[in-house]
Amino acid sequence: MLATLLIVVPLAAALVIWVLPLPRETTAGIAVLAALAEVGLWVGGVFDFSLSPLGIEWVDFGSDQQLFGTSRAWFEELGVSYAVGFYGFQFWLTGLTVVVGACAIGYAMWVGRDRPRAYYGLVLFLVGSLVGVFASQDLLLFYVFFEAMLIPLYVLIGVWGGPQRVKATVTFVIYTMAGSLLMLASVVAFGIGQGTFSLATSGTSSNDWIFLGFVAAFAVKAPLFPFHGWLRDAYTQAPPEVSALLSGVVSKAAVFGLIWVVLPHFPGPVEDFRGLLLVLAAATLVYGSLLAFRQPDIRGVVAYSSMAQMGLITLGIFATNDLGLDGAVLQSVNHGLVSAAMFLLAGMVEERCGTGQLSALGGMAKGRPLLATLVLTTGMIVLAVPGSATFTGEFSILAGVFDHGWGYAAVGAAGIVIAAMYGLRLISALLHEGRGSSVPEDSPDLRAGELGLVVPLVAILLVLSAWPAAVSGNSFPGDAPAETIAGVGG
Amino acid sequence: MSVAGAWVCLLAPLAGLLAITGAGTRITRRQAGWIATVSVFVAFAGAVYTLIELIAQDASERERLSTAYTWFEAGRFEAGLQILVDPLAVTMMLVVTGVGGLIVWYSMGYMAGADEERRFFAYMALFVFSMLLLVQAGNLLLLLVGWGLVGLASYLLIGFDHHRPAAIAAAKKAFVMNAVGDATMALGLFLVIAKVGTLDFGPVFRAAEEGALSDTVVTLVALGLLGGAVAKSAQIPLQTWLPDAMEGPTPVSALIHAATMVTAGVYLICRTAPVFEAAPDVQHLAAGLGAVTLLAAGAIALVQWDIKRVIAYSTMSQIGYMFLGAGVGAYGFAMFHLVTHAFFKALLFLAAGVVIHHLAGEQDIRRMGGLRHYLPFTWLVFLVGSLALVGIPPLAGFWSKDAVLASALATGGVLGWSLYLAGLAGTFLTGLYTFRLFFRVFDGEPSPLVLEHAAGHGDHAHGAEDAAGHELHGHGEGPLSMLIPVGALAALTLIGGLLNVPGLWDTFEHWIAETSEPLVEATVGQDYLTSLLAVLLGAAGLLLARRAFLAGKDLVPGTSPLHDALARKLYFDDLYDALFSRPAQALAVRLRDRVETPVVQGSLEEIGTRTQEAAGEVARAQTGLLRTYAVAITGSVVVLAVVFIVVR
Repeated sequence: MLATLLIVVPLAAALVIWVLPLPRETTAGIAVLAALAEVGLWVGGVFDFSLSPLGIEWVDFGSDQQLFGTSRAWFEELGVSYAVGFYGFQFWLTGLTVVVGACAIGYAMWVGRDRPRAYYGLVLFLVGSLVGVFASQDLLLFYVFFEAMLIPLYVLIGVWGGPQRVKATVTFVIYTMAGSLLMLASVVAFGIGQGTFSLATSGTSSNDWIFLGFVAAFAVKAPLFPFHGWLRDAYTQAPPEVSALLSGVVSKAAVFGLIWVVLPHFPGPVEDFRGLLLVLAAATLVYGSLLAFRQPDIRGVVAYSSMAQMGLITLGIFATNDLGLDGAVLQSVNHGLVSAAMFLLAGMVEERCGTGQLSALGGMAKGRPLLATLVLTTGMIVLAVPGSATFTGEFSILAGVFDHGWGYAAVGAAGIVIAAMYGLRLISALLHEGRGSSVPEDSPDLRAGELGLVVPLVAILLVLSAWPAAVSGNSFPGDAPAETIAGVGG
Repeated sequence: MSVAGAWVCLLAPLAGLLAITGAGTRITRRQAGWIATVSVFVAFAGAVYTLIELIAQDASERERLSTAYTWFEAGRFEAGLQILVDPLAVTMMLVVTGVGGLIVWYSMGYMAGADEERRFFAYMALFVFSMLLLVQAGNLLLLLVGWGLVGLASYLLIGFDHHRPAAIAAAKKAFVMNAVGDATMALGLFLVIAKVGTLDFGPVFRAAEEGALSDTVVTLVALGLLGGAVAKSAQIPLQTWLPDAMEGPTPVSALIHAATMVTAGVYLICRTAPVFEAAPDVQHLAAGLGAVTLLAAGAIALVQWDIKRVIAYSTMSQIGYMFLGAGVGAYGFAMFHLVTHAFFKALLFLAAGVVIHHLAGEQDIRRMGGLRHYLPFTWLVFLVGSLALVGIPPLAGFWSKDAVLASALATGGVLGWSLYLAGLAGTFLTGLYTFRLFFRVFDGEPSPLVLEHAAGHGDHAHGAEDAAGHELHGHGEGPLSMLIPVGALAALTLIGGLLNVPGLWDTFEHWIAETSEPLVEATVGQDYLTSLLAVLLGAAGLLLARRAFLAGKDLVPGTSPLHDALARKLYFDDLYDALFSRPAQALAVRLRDRVETPVVQGSLEEIGTRTQEAAGEVARAQTGLLRTYAVAITGSVVVLAVVFIVVR
């Protein structure tokens, strides 16, 4: 039931906002309330209150039971159903969505976006669709939510974006549309072939073309090299909070698709194409890291660093072993949080200085301890300093992919060093040395409202740093993720 | 046996960090200093308690693993947040918190008046916590975490004066070079996971000892670990960051870049001795790198003019001795030298700090001289530290360095003899560079700068900003909070060597041997022979430095080609710049300008433009976009409809 609730609440709030001609503040209020209600519902889900009257007991993510599920027949003849529910990793991705969603809506309210009814409605619609994606247990349902999440993105970038928004939107639409059409063909072909669209009960397929259709769609979404042409413009032109959702959460739809659609149902093709996919993922990691090192603006650095991280996560997924898979889930959550925090911080800096060009920034640490602390902490998590949650995820993924050849791990290790280079460059360009030409001398430190948006993200990351096993140990039923996933299609 | 003391030791500095961070501006700068100092001394108390508990145990029982919770888990792979309490760990805990506490205390005087003092003390507490995590870690993964976190603290503290480009550049360099070491270490650990399935010390060491791992595997693992050790301990070829790290405030140099963090590589080799012993070539490589470093760094120190850089090169050189010792399997003596070095090198740095403080931030020894008359106490302790560094009996360095060298002699063979001779030559260089520095700073006629600050003594008019931007005044020898720690370290330097006296008692070596059994044992004869030679050579260096000083000559003439090579740090920076730094930047720029922009982005623009044209260029762009989308949606719906109809 909870899964449905988590999908419906933001969609319903979006509808209310669109339909009722409410004033600006009320609109924002409803949006924030809905976002917080989502977070509350999700947190409630972590603890199973039914187990003891006072109590708080952890939900057992290790059980084979799908959690909080609902299943209703939809097009029975086709084997399509409305089936939603969670296994551990889906629940974590959903948690990521609701938390980043709440911060994004809070940021929009803080900035005061134009045309609030349209705006908040679209963001809520996006959040609802994303939860739908992550909760799907039916392939067609997954496709519907996947498409649904794209529509608000087109409009959010195209209408509220920066000066280059038109170009950004056009490239984004072209890429995702191409991916979506390929995926649609694959969805239909796979479902018809299986006689059911249920992700849990459909068997395996050895059809390379269907497999490649899915992979292409997810490679665009992630994105993987060389399918990333839309990335820079979209991430730098969208409003910061939309970039946060886009890089932090929307890219994880690809993670979900690869883990829950591709791996269990195409074991043969995965085996055949593993080499190619691992090479692409490793190339993405290095290419993204190198480009991040030479980007002229904050969001460019974060955008390409995100791309590199998606390459890393993909390495973990196609390692198809315990360390790789659990690491990929952990890293998906980490990356979602940290890139959202970084985009929001980028927005706050841009708002103060009127630009995100690194050459015009600098020296912001002086007299702005809160901004400095947050940028430094977030930046260190971006570059995966040992001890951070991102480091643990990275370590696990690379240890996993090591099984398929030390070369991948060596490339990943080189990525660690380049990440240090671009991360430190970003931190210093914002905070250190003399005051940059675009930094007003009296530009204030972060205000309470801004802290309220970024601190929660960073705090969760610190908790995950101290206890990464909370996610990595609770991602899949059983104690061997690789076997569990193989069993789904079996 | 209770391990509570060890947990208190680990967590007290973390609590200090959180308290200072959480309190923000609600506490004064001085209170932040006290919180940091007290938290480190509480950690020291915890370490002492643990030591007492450990001594009370039977020798065979002195090892306890304590797990707080399962920190990381993936499938069946687990790594606990666990600490290992054994003689090796406790020794490091005592050094880190003992010397660390004194240095943090000293900082309260040294940093007084600096901007953002609270941040400084928060970083110091973070460092001590990270260092304790490194030495207390109960498995290799947690050790790597501590390993990385000390690198972070080092970065933060080197770049503490973040408005100075040189400080920031040095901080970044230190971080990136250490990231290289972290990466090789991580690769080694991946291999361990692949072959052993766990990173817990016990099973990994057993696998190495029992020959369960092939030679290739164990060699690669040892190489990975050595990469980390070499980077962290600034040994050739990953040494170039350490001299630059002197951009950090002096207490930082004393704590991180002399007494504790940079010696972590030695600790790592001793801790993972079973792995290195299974890969003797790599272990010997460690010894060889140590020997090369001790000579090269000693030589470079001869031409440095910055008081802190001379001491920094000396640190590299001394760590070279430790690597040499650990590399021949004399773990106890390598650790012994680590401990005594922590005493006398922290002493030298802190005394240098008094000099710098007195001279309002001046670090160039060409502008110093005759300070003996103005800073008698500092002169005395600096002399003690210098003599200990050169290895003059009965000071601390004498006992430990000679023990390391005697072990090299006992190893024998070409390797043992080469190491031995290199080490002996090093003692001569040590005498030279140490007393070149000492005489230039303290002896002779007072320089104009010194006179100026002597005149301004007690009068704040001569206060000036040092390179770091702190307002410093000529305050004589500084406040008590600086002098007491310096005095304490001087006392430790005087008596610290008596922990282990060859032929009489070898308490310290036995203590470490409970964790890491030595591979070689020097005879008493070898010990005495080595001591004799080393003291003679060190004294010869000292006397030569004296003669050169009196004659007003440079030890290495500024015109000689050798001087050029040494002054340019044997060209390592230039080499790495040409080999890695510039090619990486060029590659990144080329990818951006030749691939990303024209190909990946460019082709898209092309398609985008065409699509817009197709959708009707006259209309506003959004309209074109929406039309595209409408077409696509319609297309999708049609496809779906057809499918449903066909299937029905």
